[in-house]
Amino acid sequence: MAVTFSKSADIYLKVIGAVIGVGVLGGAVTYGYLSHPTVIDTGYQPVQPVPYSHKLHAGNLGLDCFYCHNTVYKAAYAAVPPTETCMNCHVKVKDKSARLEPVRQSYASGKPMEWVSIHRLPDYVFFNHRAHIQAGVSCVVCHGRVDQMIEVKQVQALNMGWCVDCHRNPAPNIRPVEFVTKLDWKPEGDPAELGRKLIAEKHINPPTNCSGCHR
Amino acid sequence: MNLISITNTKQNGAPVLGDVTGKSYWRSLNQLADTADFKQWVTREFSSTATDLLDGNSRRTVLKLMAASFGLAGLTACRPVAHILPNTKGVEDYIPGAATFYSTAMPMNGVVNGLLVETHDGRPTKIEGNPDHPMSLGAANSFAQASVLGLYDPDRSKVVLEAGKESTFEKFEAALKAANLADGSGLRFVTLANASPTFTWLKSQVLAKYPKAGFIEYEPISHDAMREGAEMAFGTGVAIHKQLDKAKIIVSLDYDFLGLDALSIMLTKLFSKGRKLAEESEEEGEHAAAEHKDEKTENKKVEHAAEHAAEKAAEMNRLYSVETNYSLTGGMADHRLRLKPSEIVTFARDLAAKLGAVPGLNVMQPATDKRGKFLDALAKDLKAHSGECIVMAGPKQPAIVHALAHSINASLGNIGKTAIAWASTKGEVSPLDAMRTLAGEINSGKVQALMILGGNPVYTAPADLNFADAIKKVPLSVHLGLDADETAMAAKWHIPEAHYLESWGDGRAVDGTATIQQPLIEAMYGGKSAIEMLALVAGTKDQRGYDLVRTYWSGQLPGKDTTAKDQAWREALHSGVIPGTKTAESKATLDGKSVGAQVAKIADGKGFEIAFYPSSQAYDGRFANNGWLQELPDPMTKLVWGNALLISPKYAKDQGLADGDMVTVSKGNLKLDVAVMTQPGHADGCGSIALGFGRTVCGRVGKGVGFNAYAIRTTNDFWSGDGFTITKTAGKHVHATTQEHGLMEGRPVVREAKIDDYKKTPKIIEEMNEVPLLKSIYEDLKYDKGNQWGMSIDLNSCTGCNACVVACQSENNIPIVGKEQVLKGREMHWLRMDRYYTGDENDPQVVTQALPCLQCENAPCENVCPVAATNHSPEGLNDMAYNRCVGTRYCANNCPVKVRHFNFLNWHKTTEEVQKMSFNPNVTVRMRGIMEKCTYCVQRIQETKIQIKAEARAAGKEIRAIKDGEIKTACQQTCPADAIVFGNINDPNSQVAKLKKHERNYALLAELNIKPRTTYLAKLRNPNPELG
Repeated sequence: MAVTFSKSADIYLKVIGAVIGVGVLGGAVTYGYLSHPTVIDTGYQPVQPVPYSHKLHAGNLGLDCFYCHNTVYKAAYAAVPPTETCMNCHVKVKDKSARLEPVRQSYASGKPMEWVSIHRLPDYVFFNHRAHIQAGVSCVVCHGRVDQMIEVKQVQALNMGWCVDCHRNPAPNIRPVEFVTKLDWKPEGDPAELGRKLIAEKHINPPTNCSGCHR
Repeated sequence: MNLISITNTKQNGAPVLGDVTGKSYWRSLNQLADTADFKQWVTREFSSTATDLLDGNSRRTVLKLMAASFGLAGLTACRPVAHILPNTKGVEDYIPGAATFYSTAMPMNGVVNGLLVETHDGRPTKIEGNPDHPMSLGAANSFAQASVLGLYDPDRSKVVLEAGKESTFEKFEAALKAANLADGSGLRFVTLANASPTFTWLKSQVLAKYPKAGFIEYEPISHDAMREGAEMAFGTGVAIHKQLDKAKIIVSLDYDFLGLDALSIMLTKLFSKGRKLAEESEEEGEHAAAEHKDEKTENKKVEHAAEHAAEKAAEMNRLYSVETNYSLTGGMADHRLRLKPSEIVTFARDLAAKLGAVPGLNVMQPATDKRGKFLDALAKDLKAHSGECIVMAGPKQPAIVHALAHSINASLGNIGKTAIAWASTKGEVSPLDAMRTLAGEINSGKVQALMILGGNPVYTAPADLNFADAIKKVPLSVHLGLDADETAMAAKWHIPEAHYLESWGDGRAVDGTATIQQPLIEAMYGGKSAIEMLALVAGTKDQRGYDLVRTYWSGQLPGKDTTAKDQAWREALHSGVIPGTKTAESKATLDGKSVGAQVAKIADGKGFEIAFYPSSQAYDGRFANNGWLQELPDPMTKLVWGNALLISPKYAKDQGLADGDMVTVSKGNLKLDVAVMTQPGHADGCGSIALGFGRTVCGRVGKGVGFNAYAIRTTNDFWSGDGFTITKTAGKHVHATTQEHGLMEGRPVVREAKIDDYKKTPKIIEEMNEVPLLKSIYEDLKYDKGNQWGMSIDLNSCTGCNACVVACQSENNIPIVGKEQVLKGREMHWLRMDRYYTGDENDPQVVTQALPCLQCENAPCENVCPVAATNHSPEGLNDMAYNRCVGTRYCANNCPVKVRHFNFLNWHKTTEEVQKMSFNPNVTVRMRGIMEKCTYCVQRIQETKIQIKAEARAAGKEIRAIKDGEIKTACQQTCPADAIVFGNINDPNSQVAKLKKHERNYALLAELNIKPRTTYLAKLRNPNPELG
């Protein structure tokens, strides 16, 4: 009887199988890695319609975060300011700058600026700025040192595990409310120590059940 | 292209952070138009003209272009670009994402109902009743709840049509000017029943310009018989207000005052007051708290409570209902008598005779059958409760029945006590006569211009008037309507109407209280309101709705100068009520002779009778394109997506008819092909059919759904008629119902008791179910700290009106699935309304039960979820994490009450951009393959908790406890009967905790040891001992 497959075919088959197996596994791992929030979201820095520098405004000039994002302490959303807020100063300051042309146009035409969203949670998560700010969680915890960024980028993955870590142990991230927008603020001594004191004082008890964030 | 659409709205409809531009959300949708250009611009990137795009543009543009082309290439596909579009100018007090509430009013059938509407970033999303409005008190019915979906209906008419072709409003104005209307003798207006003072004022302006113009208020669901009956009985214009909370005996003669015949939810509120035993539980709760430790007093307490319960229960009202079809009122009734439409008239006559209400009347029928016994017992009961009872007739009954009811009330001394006379204007001419005259005038060529301001008369007008052909003979016919419907197609001109949520107006409630109807959003398609059309015809100085309403009310509102008037106007807008506009009480003296003369004209019915009734879904057809309502199961038949000719099981058996059989109903040259359905408890020898279906020119939702009952409805047989023939034809129709059978399979799912039995042994409710010793294999968790949420649903006051079902749908973004999927059992209502029959199939009693997720403490669903997508919260909620769900459906399988619903398909596939505006941004929109269910409106709980904590921390104060009633679930908030109570069961003083101590309290399927947080209060019947 003629031999249809040589002896070595068996080896080839195993090698091909192994290659496909490794390929599929590798693909899955790569996909899993690439689509992980720490990879695709951390470092996300889209180009904005106006090269607004947070470093200049919040860092060098020392504008308080609340000046523009004025709803954070009273609402779930941290509102991006209306064009009018920019124009409060820029009618006088740099009023001829070519870079500010889109802002002036928006103000004149009533057509909104199209800022590109950077920190974006999935649709099924309901984050409330007010709850966090009033508890004493600083902007810096999630947004990083925005006062040092020329153009803002995402520094934290904002994935669920990262959120829950803090919800389980909020102490290191709690500070007196008056310092939440002082991004460079450091307490004397151990931040966790102070955090624990504040937690006890203010009865801070972050939810760790599903409906705390998912509704 | 995905990339583009994502930039505008989040998938769940939540505006992307600041994705708003003050009042006109449309600006951001204009972005959509812009992005379409953008799309084109991007596709040109590699074309030869690409370079000219770069000329004169900034570096930004180039980068933007590059980013976009990368996006198209899929390189950044994993992180789609989302934009934030803030306002350009700051709006005072506006907080993006925070809900704001405005008072307004919904006009329907000649009255308005006061509403409080929730808006998110300028989009109205949720309708609530206005708690400050005397005829709403915070509740709204299912139509009001669903009307927000109508606003965002993508099939709404958007453009002016001239002979079916797109035109402009300016062209219409020119055509109107060109028409020579002279003294107006050829000018006729047809409107729906109208309660707007501004409309009346403008009408006088039109009449000043065109003295011979005519106005007809034609309402297909006419309540004119009520007015005519009162005039017949009292000789003057009065409206009888039913003070049901003062009545011990309530008799309804075909009056579905708890359901479709009610113009406001007030009658349900008043009626349910007489069915509540709540005070008892409050006192009991206090006793329990005070005497908890003392066992001796404990026993005494039980005895005392039993006595107390009996005392209170004895005060419960008793409802008799005489009707043809099973209505919600019949379901609540302690005694129900089913009669043919013509027999109800003779029953009223005989009851009046028995009570001697009309002199010289003799009882014509012998009292041996059920009817006779019912009549005798009822008459006795009424006599025994003179001054504490009320007899009411429904709008579907002729004027004489109303007159007889008034006569009975007068003779029993009820007038001024349970039946209060309110001043009303005497009607000029019956709208039906006016319609007959109008049809004649049109056919004789007398009418030159016909202005139809709202409504759809081509579809709804009585068939014998042949309005569809008549309207074509009018040289200038104009239709103002929300939809390009049957009338729009027949009329020369069609003008898109502004929805009530987008136009200024006003109106009076049932009690005369006036409310300003303020818009919540700018007219999306530039529609006009009826008052604006009148202003155009009258040529008044003001033409805009706001100016018209403002001008009228500045003459009416109190205040010496403009500042004071301004203040009064603002207050009226804020509270939704204009003080001092309530109708005055008046006197009513019976004119017995007039009634006696009319009684002689009563004739017996012959042959097969048909009764028409408004649909609980489409009403008269106006809500036919509303998906929420089309898929809202009819309270009794549980039919969705259609109607049927309802007949009694006995009649069906006699005629050899089965559910779904097609029959032809005919009379004269009118006929209707319709499918039959058996309705237990329906009167024999007659059929009932809901109006509002079988629309031919309608949007995608309502077109061709059901059978058009208007085809056999004539001016003579307006609400009912006799002498119809019914013949079986070939063919079968598939009815989609959401409850296959109404039996409880021997389990005490709903519990009810006769009040006398309950008096003797209050434990009777508990003993209906034998609960074995319950032991869980898991360690019992203690839920005794903080807030522990629970709910109590009182079956004794729940009427089954469905308002809660729609409220839940609106609050929680629950999708509709369509008829085919309902047939597969895939409907999505988180809160369903079950209806059970008890007793003989031809004459059963009905109990309804609202059933949301029970939030079991030992939830069977949680144990079987392989991915822990459903877990218990420390506050006792059975939480859902939709993003975790992988769709195994084990949980739904293991749910003993079947309140979990699975997204078998992507129900939002066809959801258009404009419909997404109706979504509640605080609730996730679930996708395909996800399980979902009620979570006690957890978004409202969290919102309140965050608010309380944040406020306390901002003020440096201690965090206060949540007050009882501070958080209301959507179903509870809108319940007209106040049957649903939600709160913290860990607080012994909360209303819900007290109700749960009640003897009537029982848990569903307690024998399974599921420990549900939602429990029920058993239903009590208060039968007349003589009738058993």
